[in-house]
Amino acid sequence: MTSFDWVRRFSFVFGATFAVLYVIALAKDLALFTVFPSLGVVLAGTHHSRDVADPAMSFLAPAIYWYGWTATAALGALVIGLVAASLPGRSTRHLWSGWVWVIPALAMIACVYLTMPWFWL
Amino acid sequence: MVAVALLGAITHQTLAAWATVDARPGSFFGRFRSVPSASFANAVVVLYALSTLLGGIVYLYFRVDVRPELERSGHWHVLGFFDLKEHFAAIGLALLPAYWVFWRRPRADEPAQTRIALTSILAFIIWWSFLTGHIANNIMGFGL
Repeated sequence: MTSFDWVRRFSFVFGATFAVLYVIALAKDLALFTVFPSLGVVLAGTHHSRDVADPAMSFLAPAIYWYGWTATAALGALVIGLVAASLPGRSTRHLWSGWVWVIPALAMIACVYLTMPWFWL
Repeated sequence: MVAVALLGAITHQTLAAWATVDARPGSFFGRFRSVPSASFANAVVVLYALSTLLGGIVYLYFRVDVRPELERSGHWHVLGFFDLKEHFAAIGLALLPAYWVFWRRPRADEPAQTRIALTSILAFIIWWSFLTGHIANNIMGFGL
């Protein structure tokens, strides 16, 4: 086993796992942190504008969750990718390499489904 | 500028990857295909990461200054397309390591279809991001 096999296993597992975890983070609203750019505030976890401002004034404190969802998925994928990379090469040899694009493609379709409410407004 | 360079690199690589091997050597597609596709991989990875970073910075201003205007104007479809851009861009960013490995360190026993599929997904994400970003940026000027 070469040291590059380690990188190969990590990169395959990271890409596929990130896609799955991102969809979960999006569906369950699991942001590692929330950014309020107009206030210059970053809070750990998911916080909606109505949590930090009067609901009638929440438009003054728009929240960004995308960074937090990405961080949640990246952290989870990093851990799982490192675990997969540390496994013996023979344990992953029979995995179909196509999962590395099939899973992200399915995750993108799931994102479309989760975004559909915008198109019903 | 970064986005345009990225568009050029990924489009060339994707079309070359899909092009048939029997293209005449002197023809447009023959010359197109003769450029080693793997040589684009490093550029695509760097440009994608850079454009995502720049997009992430610009997004702060979009969220505060542009998005509320779009909400007030009822451009819900544009906001939906823009949300998809965010999601796709994040998934594409995480695919870069695997994409790089498939192009720069391919194994003989790995099917070329996987490499082509990964490249096509990235090309779709990059084109989607480019077009959606421009539509969101210019929609108020369309008079819609």
